[in-house]
Amino acid sequence: MYVLKVDGVKKHFRSDMSLARREVLHGLSLHAQAGEVLGFLGPNGAGKTTTIKVILGLIRADSGSVTLFDHPVGDERSMARLGYLPETPYFYPHLSLGEFLGYCGALSGMGSAQLRERIDAVVEAVDLSAHRDKRLKAFSKGMLQRAGLAQAILHDPDLLILDEPFSGLDPMGRKLVRDVLIDLKKRGKTIFFSSHILPDMESLCDRVCIIREGVIVKCIGLDDLRKLGEGKVEVTARRWRPDMLGGIHGYVESKRETGEEVFLVVREQRFVRPVIEHLYDNGAEVLEVAGEHCSLEDLFMQEISRPGVRTKKEKKEETHVFTGF
Amino acid sequence: MHTIAAVALNTFRESVREKILAIALLFGVILMGSSVFLSPLAVGAKQKIVMDVALAAISIIGVLVAIFLGGTLVHKEVDRKAIYLVLTRPVPRHAYIVGKLAGVVAAVALVFAVMTAVMIAVIALGAGGLRPALFASVYLSFLETTVICSIVMLFSTFTTPILTAFFTLCLFVAGSLSGDLKVFASKFGGAGMQIATGLFYYLLPNLKVFNLRHEAVHDLPFKAADVLLATLYAAVYSAVMIYFACLIFKRREFR
Repeated sequence: MYVLKVDGVKKHFRSDMSLARREVLHGLSLHAQAGEVLGFLGPNGAGKTTTIKVILGLIRADSGSVTLFDHPVGDERSMARLGYLPETPYFYPHLSLGEFLGYCGALSGMGSAQLRERIDAVVEAVDLSAHRDKRLKAFSKGMLQRAGLAQAILHDPDLLILDEPFSGLDPMGRKLVRDVLIDLKKRGKTIFFSSHILPDMESLCDRVCIIREGVIVKCIGLDDLRKLGEGKVEVTARRWRPDMLGGIHGYVESKRETGEEVFLVVREQRFVRPVIEHLYDNGAEVLEVAGEHCSLEDLFMQEISRPGVRTKKEKKEETHVFTGF
Repeated sequence: MHTIAAVALNTFRESVREKILAIALLFGVILMGSSVFLSPLAVGAKQKIVMDVALAAISIIGVLVAIFLGGTLVHKEVDRKAIYLVLTRPVPRHAYIVGKLAGVVAAVALVFAVMTAVMIAVIALGAGGLRPALFASVYLSFLETTVICSIVMLFSTFTTPILTAFFTLCLFVAGSLSGDLKVFASKFGGAGMQIATGLFYYLLPNLKVFNLRHEAVHDLPFKAADVLLATLYAAVYSAVMIYFACLIFKRREFR
């Protein structure tokens, strides 16, 4: 069952001053199944936050469809099962944490007895029990982020949509948020979150989708990602000279150099020995031989450094300046 | 209903914690207090001066508080994106607007309660002469402020606080004079002028129906039916304003 389903969503904005039309999402599609943790990756300005706002009904799609729990966006039945943490959360500074969570719970239709019990549980989960009666205006950025997570999980939603949940957190705060998310994952909750912190995403997600220029360019399971690099070996050597590549060209898949060191990814295990011997014979010194795997960072860099998904001509055609006056 | 009450309570809480509310109340109290010291200057009209100043202070402070609170609270929440937390919950957009209005009206009611208490003290301690018309006048001022709150709420769904304040003040002035304009047009204007003023008369809020200050100050009789009609008028006009505010807010996108 798809908890979240986005199909062919298009969205454009008009600049307030010039009336220029800017396409932000180009037929974007993605889905998340029940119990899945789906990471949403993309460079700044790729359309992550716009996608999230379309999913939440804060902005309307020009075309395409979005369903949450098989209901259209904005349906109260699905909104009751949703928890959301915005990017750069701003809450009500005049409220204490307890009052703020009480307000959020009341908006979610929680009764007072249930609310009291849940507030105790969530403030403890985000380690803010000692600050429950403190006004939010006295909170640091990291504490506000944790308060934001507390309001998102307060009503025990089935789907969590988190926009940059690790933003503004120190290492301890990051670990705490990660632990909360791991616990939610264990409890079968569906989590859809965007982040720029790739190691956290790699450790939490079942699947990641990469967005670039308003289009999903890759969706891949983390297990499949790990398999991508299997069988390959990385050889690190120093005193490297470019002419050394000649004799081993057929064995090496890729090469990158930093200073006097070189990192060679060898295609197959059986080629490792001839590569090492070649390097020694030519005066290089082998420092390390390690099994290679494809990281999320490798995949992300590979996807965003590819030539544009849309040509310059396409982009130009999509920017129409209103000239009616 | 549950969500409307939650939004209203939060709005009320936020309003009463705003410094501007305390400042406005202080200003109103000083204004009323000053009338006690100034009234001896008006020989034989001490009581009239005290009541006139007190009722005017309640009305003006009420309207200013309504414009400031109503205009800034929605805008601030949208601008700082705190509204995301509300609209991503099972809260219909009309419930948010109605809740906001209820919260602001509750804060205004608090202002009226405090200022009326001060007025009673000032009149009782000074000139004396507490009468039912005084309380009816305060009640009608409160209704007038409620109408202003609904107008503020309408403007705040699509424009900035400064423009909201400007438009509302314009409507407040025009609404206070619309009855006079209609009379003026019927006596001296042509057919076109009469149609135009007639149109304005029915579109703009007729705030004159909420003015019972003259009767209160001069201890003149007033009709309970007029008060009832004014109550009905305030309810209908506010409901229409809120209906349009909800329509606009429902269409609004939050980028």
